[in-house]
Amino acid sequence: MNDLVLKIENLTKIYKIGRREVQPLTNLNLEVKKGEFTAIMGPSGSGKTTLLNVIGCIDKATSGIVLIDNVDAAKLPESKLCKIRRDKIGFIFQNFNLMPYLNARENVELSMELAGKFQGQRGARAKEFLATVGLSGREQHSPQRLSHGEQQRVAIARALAKDPAIILVDEPTGNLDVTNKQEIVKLLVDVNQKQGTTIIMVTHDEQVAAKTQRMLLLNDGKILQDQQKGPFQHESKTKEMH
Amino acid sequence: MGILTRATKNLSRRKTRALIVIIALSLALTLLIILPPSINAREALTQQTFNDLIGADGALNATVTLSSTEIQCDYPPPYLSPTISISDVNLPQPLMNESLYNNITSIPDVTNVIPILYELPTANRSYTIYGIPLDTASLLKEPSLLPANITDGRNLRVGDSGVVVLDEETAKNFSVSVGGTVTISGLNFTVVGIEGSELPQGTHGATMSLSDAQAVTNATDEASSYNVFVDNIDNVNTVAARISSLDPNLQVTDGLSQLNTAEPLQNQMAELIQAAQNNLNQIQGTGIVEIGIAVIADAAIILFIMLFSVRERTKEIGTLKAMGASDSAILAQFILEGIVLSLIAAIVAIAIGVFAIPTLSSLLLPTPVQVGATPETLPNGTMILTRITSGPRPFLGNGSNIIAAPITPEIMLLGLGTAVLLGALGSLYPALKAARTRPAEAMRYE
Repeated sequence: MNDLVLKIENLTKIYKIGRREVQPLTNLNLEVKKGEFTAIMGPSGSGKTTLLNVIGCIDKATSGIVLIDNVDAAKLPESKLCKIRRDKIGFIFQNFNLMPYLNARENVELSMELAGKFQGQRGARAKEFLATVGLSGREQHSPQRLSHGEQQRVAIARALAKDPAIILVDEPTGNLDVTNKQEIVKLLVDVNQKQGTTIIMVTHDEQVAAKTQRMLLLNDGKILQDQQKGPFQHESKTKEMH
Repeated sequence: MGILTRATKNLSRRKTRALIVIIALSLALTLLIILPPSINAREALTQQTFNDLIGADGALNATVTLSSTEIQCDYPPPYLSPTISISDVNLPQPLMNESLYNNITSIPDVTNVIPILYELPTANRSYTIYGIPLDTASLLKEPSLLPANITDGRNLRVGDSGVVVLDEETAKNFSVSVGGTVTISGLNFTVVGIEGSELPQGTHGATMSLSDAQAVTNATDEASSYNVFVDNIDNVNTVAARISSLDPNLQVTDGLSQLNTAEPLQNQMAELIQAAQNNLNQIQGTGIVEIGIAVIADAAIILFIMLFSVRERTKEIGTLKAMGASDSAILAQFILEGIVLSLIAAIVAIAIGVFAIPTLSSLLLPTPVQVGATPETLPNGTMILTRITSGPRPFLGNGSNIIAAPITPEIMLLGLGTAVLLGALGSLYPALKAARTRPAEAMRYE
C-alpha cells in the first residue's frame, strides 16, 4: 500500500430493515493516501455516513476489502475491530458526543486512556492538545459550560490525542454558526497541514468541502466523482467514476 | 482518571435521581444490615427461655420421687400450717416415732417401711442432716436414697457408721476433703465422699446412716418420713387410707397420685416449650422473608435504574465504543457504577441502622416471649407450675420492650460486602446489554 492509509475494494454494504434489504454501498472502490484531507459529499441516503462507519470499523462491510493501515477490517471480528478503532481511528461527530460528566481535559484524557497511550502524562498532554485547538484555560470546563464551537474543538483535541492513522469527521460544522464553522474548518486544515493527519470528512457544505484537497461525490452507494484539487489548490482535476 | 472516577462522576450527573435511588437502596439495605443481628438476639433470648423451661422440666420430673407401689408419709412442715404465725417459721419438722413405724409395718400388704430422717439447717448449722437406713433391704428397694452424684471419694455403703458424704458447698464450708474428719453436734465423722451440687432436686448437705443422724439430732428412734412399699399396686389406696387413719395429721402421698399430678404439668411444660419453638420459628421465618424482600428490592432497584441508564446513555456507549472502548471496559464501567451506587447506599444504611436498630427491629420482627415455670408442691400434696410468665423480655434498655443487638464492625463489613455483591448482580444484565450494544446502532440512537 506504500503511502496508502486506506484502500477499499468492491465494498458492498447491505442492511435489512424488517424484510426489506437496503444497499447503501455497492462495489465501492477508494484509495486514500497518508496525509490526505478528503471530503465526501452527496445527497441524504447516498451512503456517506455508512461509508464513514465502515471505514471507522463501527459497522462491517457485507463484502469487499477495507484495508486500514494494511489490515483488512472487513474480515475481522468485533473484538479486533475494537482495537483498530482504538489504535487507528479518531472520530469527530456532528453533535460532538463529549462525555457530559467529564470536563474538557478529562474528555481528552479519556481518549488516551482507552488507547492506553501516554500513561502518567495524560493530564499534561491533554492540556497541550486543548491549547492546540485554542482552549487554553478552559480545561476544567464541563461541556455544558462550553459553546458549540468550543465543544467541537474539544472533540477535535480528543481525536488528535491518541495520534490516529485516520480522523473521520461527520458533518463537523452542522451544528455551528458561520464564525465557528470557519474556525473549525481552519483548525482541521491546520491539523492536516501541520501534523500530516489523514482526515476523511463527510459534509453537506460545499464551502467546507472546498477547503479540502479531494472531494468525493457519492450517490446511490457509488462514487460518482473524485475531484483531486492538489494540495490546497482550487484548480481541480475531476475524475468521473462509472 | 480511571474507570472508578468515571463511574463516580457519572453518578453526580443526575444528582436528584441519584439521591432518590440511594435513599430507596439504603432503606432496603438497612433491612439487610439490621435483621441478622436482630434475629440472632431474639434467638439467644429464645434459647435462654428453652434452657429455663428444660431446667423447670427437670425439676418437675424430680418431684416424681415415688414408685407406683410406694407411699410416702410425714407431717407437713409447721410453717405451712394456717395456725402458725410468721414468727414460728423456724419450728422444727415434726417427727414420727417408733410406735407409728410399728403400726405401719403391721398393716397388711405392706412389705417394707424405710424411715428417713432429715433436719433442715438451723440457726447453728448451715446444712441439712440427711439420715438413711444403710441396710441391704432398704437400699435394694430404694437405691435413690443414696447421694446420686459422687464427684470425689465413694458413696455410702451397707453397714457404714461414723462416715458422712458431704455436698460440695458443705465440704467447702468445713474446709474438708475426702479422708478428712468433721464434727457434727459433738460427734466425729470421716468424710468418705463429696456429692456434686448440679442436681435438679438439690443436695443433701451431710448424708449419713439413719442411726448416726438420729444421734446428731437427738431423735432416737424417730424419723421425718417413711417410705412405705406395698406388695401390689391394687392395694396402694387401701394401705394409704389405713396409714391416714393412724393419724389424721399425717401427710400421705402415693406414687400414682404423684405421677397423676405431674403428668398434666409435664404436658403443660411441653406446650410451653412448643410455644417457645413456634415463637422462634416465627421470628426466623419473618426475618428470612424480610431479608429476601430486601435482597430482591435492592437488586431490582439497581437493575431498573441501570437499565434506564443504559437506555438513556446509548449514544454515549456508542461513542465510547467508537473511541475504542472494549466490551469488557464498558461492562466494568456499568458494573462499577452499580457497585458505587450500592456502596453509598450501604454507608447510609449503616448510619440509619446504628441509630434506629432498636425501633426498626421491633417493628420488623415478632417479639420473643419469655416463658418460665417452676414446679412446686402445695401443702396438700398437689403440684402446680408457678412463676409462669410470658411477654416481651428486655435486652437493651432498662425495662423497655426493645430487643436489638448492636451493629458490630463485622456486621458493617458484611453489609458493605452484600452491597457490593448486590450492586454487581443488579447491574450485571444492564452492563452486559451495554457491552453488547453495536456501535453503529448506538450512534444512530436518538
